[in-house]
Amino acid sequence: MHLYDLSSSSAPPRRTVPLAWFAVVVIVAAGVSVVGIAASYALRGGSSSGPLTITDDLGRRVTVPLDPARVVVLGPSIMDSVYRLGLRSHVVGVDCYAPALGGLSSDYSADQVALWNLSSSMCVQTGPTFDVEQLIALGPQLVLAATIVSVAAVEQITQTYQIPVVMLQPATLTGVILDDQLLGEIFGVSSASSSLANALQTVLAQAASLQNDLTANGTPFPTLLVTYSADGNGYWTFGPGTFGESLIELASGASISANATLSYPELSGEQVLASDPQFLVYGTGFGINESTYAGAPFWSQLTATQDGRAVGMDSNYFTEPDPTMILVGLPQLMAILHPGSSAQ
Amino acid sequence: MSGPTDPALRLRQVTVRFGERMALQDVNLEVPKGQFLALTGPNGSGKTTLLRAALGFLAPQSGSVELFGSEVLSLSVAERARRVAWVPQEENPRENVPLLDYVLYGRYAHLEWLQGETARDREAALRALRAVGLEERAEDGILSVSGGEKQRAILARALVQEAPLVLLDEPTSHLDIAHQLDLLTRVRELSRERNVTVVAALHDLNLAARFSDRIVVLSRGRRVADGAPTEVLSEELLARVWGVVADLRRDPRTGAPYLLPHHLVPPAPSGPGTFLGKGPVHVVGGGGSGAPYLRALSEAGYRVTAGALHLLDSDLETAENLGALTAVEVPFAPISDEVRERLRNLLQAAKAIVVAPFPVGPSNLPNLEEVRGWLGRVPILLVRRPSGVEWDFAGGRARALEEELLRGGARQVAGAAEMLAALAAEPSVPLPQ
Amino acid sequence: MGASVAAPADSPRASGRRPWVLVLLLAFLGVGVFFSPILGTVSVAPDTVLRILLHQVSGGALFSHPCAGASVPASGCAGLIEIVWDARLSEIMLAVVVGAGLGISGGTLQGVFRNPLADPFLLGISSGGTLGAAVVVVFRIGVADQNLLLPLFAFIGAIGTGFVILVAARSRFGSVETLLLTGVALSSFLSAVLSLLLLYSPTGSLQVDFWLLGNLGSLDWTQDGIVFGVVLVAGTLLATYGRELNLLQLGPDVAQSLGVDSRKVRVRLLLLASVTTAAAVAFTGIIGFVGLVSPHVVRRIAGSDYRIVLPGAALVGAGFLLAARDLSLVAFPGTLLPIGIFTSFAGAPFFAYLLFRRRGTSTMGSP
Repeated sequence: MHLYDLSSSSAPPRRTVPLAWFAVVVIVAAGVSVVGIAASYALRGGSSSGPLTITDDLGRRVTVPLDPARVVVLGPSIMDSVYRLGLRSHVVGVDCYAPALGGLSSDYSADQVALWNLSSSMCVQTGPTFDVEQLIALGPQLVLAATIVSVAAVEQITQTYQIPVVMLQPATLTGVILDDQLLGEIFGVSSASSSLANALQTVLAQAASLQNDLTANGTPFPTLLVTYSADGNGYWTFGPGTFGESLIELASGASISANATLSYPELSGEQVLASDPQFLVYGTGFGINESTYAGAPFWSQLTATQDGRAVGMDSNYFTEPDPTMILVGLPQLMAILHPGSSAQ
Repeated sequence: MSGPTDPALRLRQVTVRFGERMALQDVNLEVPKGQFLALTGPNGSGKTTLLRAALGFLAPQSGSVELFGSEVLSLSVAERARRVAWVPQEENPRENVPLLDYVLYGRYAHLEWLQGETARDREAALRALRAVGLEERAEDGILSVSGGEKQRAILARALVQEAPLVLLDEPTSHLDIAHQLDLLTRVRELSRERNVTVVAALHDLNLAARFSDRIVVLSRGRRVADGAPTEVLSEELLARVWGVVADLRRDPRTGAPYLLPHHLVPPAPSGPGTFLGKGPVHVVGGGGSGAPYLRALSEAGYRVTAGALHLLDSDLETAENLGALTAVEVPFAPISDEVRERLRNLLQAAKAIVVAPFPVGPSNLPNLEEVRGWLGRVPILLVRRPSGVEWDFAGGRARALEEELLRGGARQVAGAAEMLAALAAEPSVPLPQ
Repeated sequence: MGASVAAPADSPRASGRRPWVLVLLLAFLGVGVFFSPILGTVSVAPDTVLRILLHQVSGGALFSHPCAGASVPASGCAGLIEIVWDARLSEIMLAVVVGAGLGISGGTLQGVFRNPLADPFLLGISSGGTLGAAVVVVFRIGVADQNLLLPLFAFIGAIGTGFVILVAARSRFGSVETLLLTGVALSSFLSAVLSLLLLYSPTGSLQVDFWLLGNLGSLDWTQDGIVFGVVLVAGTLLATYGRELNLLQLGPDVAQSLGVDSRKVRVRLLLLASVTTAAAVAFTGIIGFVGLVSPHVVRRIAGSDYRIVLPGAALVGAGFLLAARDLSLVAFPGTLLPIGIFTSFAGAPFFAYLLFRRRGTSTMGSP
């Protein structure tokens, strides 16, 4: 065997890979990303397929065709507006859950499915994964989507497949009215839009006058808890900055969760018992009924429960930011909180 | 790279600390090319640390470690691998790699980036397997061979590494006695054939003495002994460094010294007024005559040695119970030259000699003859014999010797108490170490 | 001398090296890629799919009317081409690239940690990526570019986590155990931060769920290109470290004594595996089991030499993810399942089968 001889032979210099090549990897990776992003900007240039450019609820500027004939609606709240604007015939697809696992999204109540004739529509899977193929197959000119769809997916539909997507996710009741006006604009249904707006304004005016009366008389707003679900730990409700919160305010109620930290907090039994609201409004439907709430902590000890001021209300009327919430939900809530008021 | 005069391994004032613990303390060591050096010492004495420092696995807090004249840490890892190979105590491969591939791992430092092993490398690996006797098993998986074969495969891997220095860390500790001999014999042969420098940490002093050119003993991180096996190994060293009482003998066939460990050095009695580690004092006795003096000395804090005694003598039992080093002869036989040599060693180490009133015959007469040789060099105390009891069975030669001793300066003492008093008065008996 | 002890008769065979298996795997993968576009959530006749593929590949020269005679959806032939070519094929290529990235990362990490259970998510890379994605969603960063910003932030989050581990690896106390524990601790910590963040943004939680479950959909060629570029560069570099990984299996000290700069190599491998994983998961979210299972499969079929395990794990990972996509479409027709659910669903029992099939043979020595 050849012996490595230290004194005479010099070993072949072993190639050393400089430590700096970490940097190379990172730079190459970053370079590829930059090229990709630049390419996507370049692609986006040619997406103007309609004469109207609008700003949606996420602040995105979207160019949409005027009065598109084929529309896919992803989100029950938007479907409500579309229906009330008389645009049902434009809808070629709605959101659904994984077809093999249950089909139509559970966000739709049985009434809505029947009223809107949803079972006849094609559905586009939005959960748990968004199905681009199904969307493309429907050949829509416009997609109206709530944030049940990943924003990243929305951008991809817009950019890659040149299908404009308008995101409608109003945070307040005023936002609902604005979104309806926007839809009216896109579909050129100003009359339907303004009559819907009138109906909405009428209800809102009634609410405002009730509030003025109460304030003028110095009558305090009744305290209440609006809950849409409950479990052994407590009651799920609306926190500050949500459309649910603004609904309660419009109905001249004092929400006991107005100072909550989270947007959609779960109040513990203790917190509810300590506040002991005058009214307790609980959502029903979607598999939830009074017995769901009976299992929540201190349910039977609450004054509202004992005095018969715990009232059930269809969740549809206050959990979706849509016209129905104002047209139906608001008057119902006012009737509960202020029975016999002039608003009725 | 390295000059012809550079040693294979050089440590200069190397100190390694692990937190508070000193693993190596100012160690200097030079290993010339071609030497087979055994590194030994008790557990925790710094053997492995020294090897790891030589491999560049750790950076000493101070001092320098050089391989063939170059500071080890200044060499690239691959360059280190081309200079020094390592056979660890135990390796736990995870994959059942064929032995041939396992050995080929040793070629890594000689291959270019992305370069595959060439036919030449495979040839070298096969030769290395042949050298360790594993040629037939080249295709067997490393997980399916025995511990001894695995260790040999690792040795083969070190060989194909073609490093001029091989470090072995307790390579035999997991092997049975046959495999221990086998492995070290191979290392020895290979080191001679290829002029490879070997540094082997070995627990087994007998293996160390038998195979190495030089033994370095570490204790608590310091180099405490260094030299040829015959110079370094002594009973005194064993007692001092390992705390073990052992007989040092010589293998009549190989001439290498070997050790027969007996038992631990018992802890010296402690308390006010006693001196730890005083002595040693050698007691010449026999037939139970030495026992009271051995005990008295031991109780007073002296280390004792005894002999030459015959096996089965009750004095021998007493001495061993006290942890004494002894020179021992088979029963009824005259004291052989070998035992006499050993007695001489013991007497040499002794700071004083006590001659118990033992019956003297031709077989144990050499005891007195040897004691005579130390007249004037160490204090010799003769215990007075009871009158009227015959004790010289050597035809007057014993009496003559005792008289000679007394004339030469030996003191006569009446009993154990007087013996201790006499020793205490001796200025030449050193105070505790 | 040579008192050799005969090996026990039932001792495992030496693991050989079977490079030809790689060619076979590559062939399987090629066939899979070619036929996978037949499957999708919208039903398109297989012959139409193949015509569209050939039409597109030939730049329109072949089958100038690929949809002739086929039933077309509302969007027409153009829609059909978009479905097959843009939606399906980009998804398939992504499955291949991401699977390859996860496979090779898994193989690398199992080698670096000498732990058969190491996988790309062990280092907390998934948690870091999820947090990065969540930050984009919750703070609504660059809404109009979320399809690229979300992956970019996910990548930054993942690579940032990997970087923390690397710092630990370079430190004096960077033992393998420390690294593993750092990863686990970091993972928990980041998950807690994520949960807190999502509490304040319920809609964000819906969007991040998407990412957590892992999905292949919603992609296009640009994104494919980005992942492909990163995985190709980092994966190729990883594959050159097979020999070093072989030696590292003997322990860092032995490897170092043989000439491998264990610490430096370990840091490089961790970096590359982090980059690969981060790039792979940035667009798809968390896809479990691919990184864990693939290297074991390769060891079974092609031997345990890392020079083969690494490219092999890439091929098996690619095939595994592609097969998971196809099988999920066969098992649940018309439904797009988050691929992460399906890989775990199919991967876990398969893994158990691998482990118990031949109890005598471990795919990675004894633990």
